[in-house]
Amino acid sequence: MKHALVSDIHGNLEALTAVLADIEKRKVDSIHCLGDVVGYGPDPAACLKMIDRTCDTKLMGNHEFTALGLQSSGVFNNAARAAVEWTQAQLTDSDRAIMADFEMDKTLDNIYLVHASPLEPVQWHYIFTEEEAVAAFQNLKTEIGFMGHSHLPLIFSAGPGKRIRSQAGHTFQVGDESRYLINVGSVGQPRDNDRRACYVVFDSDEGDVFYHRVEYDIDAAQQKMATAGLPEVLISRLAAGL
Amino acid sequence: MPEIVVKYEDKVIERIVTEKKRISVGRTNDNDVVLENRGVSRKHAMIEFNDNAAVVIDNESLNGTFVNNRKITEEVLRDDDVITIGKYSLVYNSQTTRDQDGGAGFDGTMVLNTKAQKKLLENDSIERQIVEKYGGSVLLGMENSSFAEFRLEREVTTIGKAKFVHVQAKGFWLSGIQAKIIKEEHGFSLVNLGKQGKTLVNGEPVNSAVLKNGDLITVGKTTFKFVEGKTQ
Repeated sequence: MKHALVSDIHGNLEALTAVLADIEKRKVDSIHCLGDVVGYGPDPAACLKMIDRTCDTKLMGNHEFTALGLQSSGVFNNAARAAVEWTQAQLTDSDRAIMADFEMDKTLDNIYLVHASPLEPVQWHYIFTEEEAVAAFQNLKTEIGFMGHSHLPLIFSAGPGKRIRSQAGHTFQVGDESRYLINVGSVGQPRDNDRRACYVVFDSDEGDVFYHRVEYDIDAAQQKMATAGLPEVLISRLAAGL
Repeated sequence: MPEIVVKYEDKVIERIVTEKKRISVGRTNDNDVVLENRGVSRKHAMIEFNDNAAVVIDNESLNGTFVNNRKITEEVLRDDDVITIGKYSLVYNSQTTRDQDGGAGFDGTMVLNTKAQKKLLENDSIERQIVEKYGGSVLLGMENSSFAEFRLEREVTTIGKAKFVHVQAKGFWLSGIQAKIIKEEHGFSLVNLGKQGKTLVNGEPVNSAVLKNGDLITVGKTTFKFVEGKTQ
């Protein structure tokens, strides 16, 4: 089975369209969205509809949770909060109904999918460091977990008796001896100094994890953001990939 | 002969047919119509009959007397007018609407279902105890609910069929998060988030509604009753 994993689209329709076209070429069996379809970008409603139509799994992200008014936007920084409030104003009842059906996490055979962390998914814990990965691994019930949230393509691995190791995301084959927590990076707002949209294809028969980077029309996305009056800091970071 | 049908939360508990010229309505036992409820004053109101006309007169009651949801001091009654006193409603008709099938008393007063009335009042008192014990507002499970009592402690309480929501509701076509209850400055409101038409208040589909004490909230196949507490 070939699974495509996309996350953190953040209302960037140009990036999502380019990524879905790239996935189309790779003949995958299923597409799983790990959350944060909205927030930051200029096309939250169009991205929600596209994800709803194309994806087999649709997980809840903290930006959906906030857009639904289930937690305060006070936890966000100023630019993110401004974007959340702008996003809330764009969404219709039917857009909200799409988000209201997003799942918190999902287990497919031996693969676990979640937006932030297997530890208390609804608390949206970040996993940046090996220390932060410890509790996440303790709560991971499968061999391999995929997540998003930090926008950083990172691979955490835990072998028996070995300490947890983190590496930058790269194409590799999973080993029998280790368990993995794999961050699939971000489609709509990459933060690893690479401006290209990021996603992962996992071949569960071969154990191959492929990181893919896709060029998209950043200028068009930035133009729309400027027209919408979204914060400048969110516009400029797209070109820098941070 | 004129007739007054007494209902408690839409259930008929008493049907009164009287030859008297005036009947008193209130909480204490010396009234002609005794309504046991906190919202009813001891001598709450009078209904006077004259030929084919009837007038309801509020007796400066604390919580007021309403006719067809309008607060009144004195009001001429027409057929099918609804007098609301506390949680009770009294429906007036100038002629009896059905055959008398129970034993009539000397003055024509007839209590059809005291058992049902007692049960309703008992339930009301259980609810009151629950809310008084907690102090705040609660949801009571009425139908297909996994709990009897849920305390509305959070700023936002989610209701739906997903595992991660606070309040589980049943129904195949429900959204994961079908609705939320938001704590506001003065009370609570209910907002539908999922599929349209799956969140109802007192049987009516809503997008959002300010919750009132006693409101029945139905999400899919599950029904809760909102009982307002003293403190929010």
